[in-house]
Amino acid sequence: MAVDPARRRVMLAAAAALPLAALSGCQGLGVLGTPPPAPPDVVSLQGAIAAEKLMVARYATALRSAGSWPAAAAQVLEPLHAEHQAHLAQLQSRLVVPSGSAASASPSAHAASPPAVPTAAAAAVAFLMAAEQAAATAMLGRVTNAPSALAQLYASISASEATHVPVLNQAGQAAG
Amino acid sequence: MSRANQAGSQLSGSGAAAQDGTTRALQSALAAEQEAVYGYGVVGAYLSGAGQSTADADWLAHQNASNTIQALLRQRGTRPSAAAVAYELPIPVQTPAQAVSLAVIIEDRIASTYLGLVALDSPAIRKFGALQVQASALRAAAWRGSTVAFPGLPTAAAAPRRGGHSS
Repeated sequence: MAVDPARRRVMLAAAAALPLAALSGCQGLGVLGTPPPAPPDVVSLQGAIAAEKLMVARYATALRSAGSWPAAAAQVLEPLHAEHQAHLAQLQSRLVVPSGSAASASPSAHAASPPAVPTAAAAAVAFLMAAEQAAATAMLGRVTNAPSALAQLYASISASEATHVPVLNQAGQAAG
Repeated sequence: MSRANQAGSQLSGSGAAAQDGTTRALQSALAAEQEAVYGYGVVGAYLSGAGQSTADADWLAHQNASNTIQALLRQRGTRPSAAAVAYELPIPVQTPAQAVSLAVIIEDRIASTYLGLVALDSPAIRKFGALQVQASALRAAAWRGSTVAFPGLPTAAAAPRRGGHSS
């Protein structure tokens, strides 16, 4: 724990990369003591994962009250729910972070309580429709700055969410 | 379908490498759109009523996208490849049901092609590509009568956890 050669090497490498002005105050140890903040890719992926978790939870909540809905409205929920679960699984499979780092600690803290969704069919479907539209737009916004493979996944998921809107719209008409 | 564009493929020099990739991706998106325009001509010919109206609207959407890509290529100083006179259809079409299947195949291919643009460096082209994936997925879902979890991605990457909702 005392003098770690690996750490010294890291410090040397870091010092070599710093501009001269930053070298005057020797804060290397202090800086290395805290885990580095998550890089922007990871933050963006965490945002996408949180958004999909929320959509999955919203459908789960809606499904609990769908027993009393007209069948035409209730039956659209399960397949859309499944697609969000597939989105979430794909996104989560792209997130690999070392345990104990700042990146692994931050999300999902508030995933415990179920999200509020209206219980009546027409109101719930309208709510989900707006949520899908917003989710598709937000996912589209992640496309421009992400690494290529992740950008393609975001674009595909955004497109999938966009297709949920007309499905819900039809269901909403059935729920009248 | 794969007519190499002479002006595009003859770009050379070290600085042209990245641009060349973008140009090639735009040319292949253009080729896919030109094939889609041709394909929707066939789709519309076998449908009537609402189906034909949808085919006409989708034909126009692909024509517009084709025009947009041609403009993007010209902005890059590249001559857009010309469309072929005719294309070999991926499936034989002799019935309305086959026409609908063709429309679905066209849109799935278009969505994949535009996902290729999403992998490029230019934020503007990425956004254009992503919006086109959305538009294509919406058309595909309308023809298919159901949605998919990962429009444009290969099905292996998009393995569903549970069944889709085609009845």
